[in-house]
Amino acid sequence: MRNLLNFVLKYGYWFLFLLLEIASFLLLFRFNHYQGSVGFTSSNRVMGRIYAVSAEVSSFFQLNTANTQLTQRNLELQVENQLLRKVLSQRSNNDAFDRIVASSTDKDYTIIPATIINNSLNRPDNYITLDKGTADGVMPEMGVVNGNGIVGIIYLTSEHYSLAISLLNSKSCISCKFKNNDYFGYLKWKGLDSRFAYLEDVPRHALFQKGDTIVTSGYSAVFPKGLMVGRVDSIADSKDGLSYLLRIQLATDFACLDDALIISGKNRQEQHTLEQSANQSTKK
Amino acid sequence: MLITFLRRLGWFVLLVLVQALILNNISFFGYATPVLYVYLILAFDANMSRYSLLLWGFALGLAVDIFSNTPGVNAAATTLLAFMRPSLLRLFTPRDSAEDFSPGILSMGTSPFIRYLTFCLLFHQTALVLLLTFSLVQPHVIVLRIVSSVLLTGLCILGIEQIRK
Repeated sequence: MRNLLNFVLKYGYWFLFLLLEIASFLLLFRFNHYQGSVGFTSSNRVMGRIYAVSAEVSSFFQLNTANTQLTQRNLELQVENQLLRKVLSQRSNNDAFDRIVASSTDKDYTIIPATIINNSLNRPDNYITLDKGTADGVMPEMGVVNGNGIVGIIYLTSEHYSLAISLLNSKSCISCKFKNNDYFGYLKWKGLDSRFAYLEDVPRHALFQKGDTIVTSGYSAVFPKGLMVGRVDSIADSKDGLSYLLRIQLATDFACLDDALIISGKNRQEQHTLEQSANQSTKK
Repeated sequence: MLITFLRRLGWFVLLVLVQALILNNISFFGYATPVLYVYLILAFDANMSRYSLLLWGFALGLAVDIFSNTPGVNAAATTLLAFMRPSLLRLFTPRDSAEDFSPGILSMGTSPFIRYLTFCLLFHQTALVLLLTFSLVQPHVIVLRIVSSVLLTGLCILGIEQIRK
């Protein structure tokens, strides 16, 4: 008995070591599978506060660049708006058409402005923390965009903060299409360079060329159709040779994110339940 | 006793905040990130009990994890470092040194300290990078990450040592 006690006293730290390592690994694996782990991320209350303060300080120094970017984007949109107005006025001679266009554009999605308070680029899986949470109506699986393009998808939410899966994350997979035709593929990030992502599963017979614009397809109800994603930078074949693999220069500059918009489709819940029940019935 | 604890706690908070708010945003050439917070574990007194070393290591790693959205990764790596530290310290300490000292350039001498530092950082970074990437698909990227981060972190810690001297 005394020997046993001595043994435990002498080598007890082994047990403590194993216990702590097991706890670490439980955390590591739990985070990837369960949605309930907000407390262990930067979207919990205390960390959110600290990051909010630090983001305020650093965003002050980025105001200049952000401003120029916004002005430029504003100008582009103004020109586009003018053009569309002209086309619309040529085509519609009656008020009814105008009303339909006006009602269908802005009512399907609600928009929540938010500030990005934490962001990373250099890990294999990057996350973004935002300063809006369930209290402001943010729910998991809403889309995050900024003035230049799409940013990510909300993953976890606490009361006042939320955590989004960045585009720069191995788990991110977004349905995208070409702006000038409807061929689509899936956008994935393969690590290392924060400026480029890859568009997979683009069919062999798709028509496109280098420099073509890629936008969201709107199939998933996370993002509305037609949001800017990036441009085709180089063209290659996929590993199995059945489709194209396109390198996309992303429109969003992830190295200087500051303000963002959280987008939610009004009918998102309905589409989601419909798709899930369809999946379940086909499995049976 | 209490004063020692409070001083350690002060260092703990300072290192975690510096790591989370400044160093985590640094990424030289997309590979090297300085991981300064391990300095706390490396600089603990030589005769500190293994139990408190392990607990400090776990808490430190977990705090950094919570800030950087990588639950368990830093905690596992830092607990491993805290577990290895007494053996590594004994390996690199000069024979005639005092019973109780805080590892550093002053107490150990430059070259033994650098050797101790390098080995500790290598263990920690290897565990960290392997857990973060969780695959061996791109071995050259992994090796490059480990080596460059060890170098950068080592330089930072030597810099602090010079200032404290």
